[in-house]
Amino acid sequence: MVFLIIVAVITPWFMPDAFTYILGLTCLFMILTVSWDLMVGYTGQVNLGHTVFVGIGAYTTALLQVPSRFQGTFLSPLAGMPEISIFATIFLGGIAAGIVGFIIGVITLRLRGWYFALVTAVLPLVFIETTVIWREIFGGEEGFSVGLEKALAPASTGKYYIALIIMLISVAIMFTIVNSRIGLKFKAIRDDLDLAEAVGIDTVKYKVLAFVISSFFAGIAGAAIVHYRVTVSPDLYDVPLMLLIILATVIGGLGTIFGPLIGGLIIYLTKYWWLKGAMATIAATGLPINDDIILYAILVVIAILAPEGLWIKAKKLAKR
Amino acid sequence: MIELLIRILIYGATVSGIWALVASGFTLIFGVSRILNFAHGAFFILGAYFGLALIHSVGLDPYLSTIVGMIMVGLLAVAAYRGMMAPIREHEVMIIIVTLALALILEQFILLTFGEHGVSFPSMIRGVVCIGGVPIPSIRLFTLVVAVVALILLGVFINRTRLGKEITAASQDAEAAMLVGLNIGKLFMITMFVSAILAALGGSLFAQIYAANPFLTLKALVFAFAIVILGGLGSVRGSVIAAFIVGYTLTIVISLYGARWSEFVAMIIIIAILIFRPTGLFGVKE
Repeated sequence: MVFLIIVAVITPWFMPDAFTYILGLTCLFMILTVSWDLMVGYTGQVNLGHTVFVGIGAYTTALLQVPSRFQGTFLSPLAGMPEISIFATIFLGGIAAGIVGFIIGVITLRLRGWYFALVTAVLPLVFIETTVIWREIFGGEEGFSVGLEKALAPASTGKYYIALIIMLISVAIMFTIVNSRIGLKFKAIRDDLDLAEAVGIDTVKYKVLAFVISSFFAGIAGAAIVHYRVTVSPDLYDVPLMLLIILATVIGGLGTIFGPLIGGLIIYLTKYWWLKGAMATIAATGLPINDDIILYAILVVIAILAPEGLWIKAKKLAKR
Repeated sequence: MIELLIRILIYGATVSGIWALVASGFTLIFGVSRILNFAHGAFFILGAYFGLALIHSVGLDPYLSTIVGMIMVGLLAVAAYRGMMAPIREHEVMIIIVTLALALILEQFILLTFGEHGVSFPSMIRGVVCIGGVPIPSIRLFTLVVAVVALILLGVFINRTRLGKEITAASQDAEAAMLVGLNIGKLFMITMFVSAILAALGGSLFAQIYAANPFLTLKALVFAFAIVILGGLGSVRGSVIAAFIVGYTLTIVISLYGARWSEFVAMIIIIAILIFRPTGLFGVKE
């Protein structure tokens, strides 16, 4: 563990600046995979709208940093907000995501069955629509810039270290939660809902709690991404990011925390560093294939070959 | 004012008819196999794109290309069921993930092959009919008729034929159906085929009135979800009735406030049902 952190700290000294930039985004992406795992892998509730909370965190911090966007809209009193530190607004982004998560959780998680998956699947499309309807505020399809002076740090290396620290703290907190008594209750809900209820666990309360924690960290990561890229746009709400999170978590192994961490590292770098080059060759063949199709196809294949999760499958094979 | 009312009345019926086709297919396969098929929206819009490709490449007329396109989508769905869904039917989380991934693969495929702009399907029937002094494109009325006929045929198939009764039996209790000697695997495949061709027919009709674009792969799901949650997951009768409620609500909102609110309305409907009547109008017990 210490060794890995040392490797993470010294990597920027040996790699090009562009790689360090991607690596920092990878760290923030790893928060997303781990927080998705906390909900899906530990309580067994399929959340297909994790990106909604990424987007809520992102737009919250962006608008708090650029309150002038409220000018001339029905929210114009907000335009005169005092300036706050970006770390405070990143935290508020997490809080906003947690609150929305709480509301959605209370409505859907008290029901058994598929309602949670169906509702969370619809959410990203609804929230993307908000950015178009209130274009003056959210900036439509292109989003808007928060300004270079609102970046996490002036240079890539600095941004990377801050992203790394945010990631380590977030993951450490989530790791502590799932290994506490609360985490045990999450797992009890996942393994047998009826039994969990029979032994006196308030299953709805713990499902909602897991969802709020998961949403909070998604919001933190989304907000940090905004100050990393200095722009906010609806792609943070969108389904391709959701599938990338799912792919990374499933490859790493649901319900393991460390699996999604490694899966996040591999998948994000694959998509944004290695596949970029490979795509030029694929595009030259003229086939209707792009990098997304390849990643989704990988996801389908892994899901079919190891539906219980690649990690568990590998462990089983090793035992044999 | 009267003109607006007549328009809402007729356009609403058309839209409802199309969504009834899509939603009844979605709920049918769920009711029988408990598979939530997130690729259903892809089957919907592929119905339009396959038909279009047939018109442009082979030169079929709109009727024939719709029918051949439906069968192609049906076979694709059966292949997807055999290859992707059947092997992991016990893993409920994975089946959702796999069908969602399939939907996005098909969306990207459409995007790369046909482009991101809306394309419209040549109408099966041309001309305008005047109703109460309001000109209505005949294709709207024709679509409604086709949708209603298709839904009646679906009803006859499920309630009157032996195969349909076997499918109903499988949906009520898959294990018991297996015990009395029904071939569950075959029934699921047939249901998948029927479900997909209903969606594809809906897609072809939709593209004749509006336009097909790749992003409908996911957007169609939003409306299908709203309808099946209102109708009750797994109830075909419920989703047909709910399709008309949702269809009319959408039409009214769109004609008064614009299309960009449609996802919102669907979401509000879903949330409201979940708060006040989670089982929907005719839900089956989980």
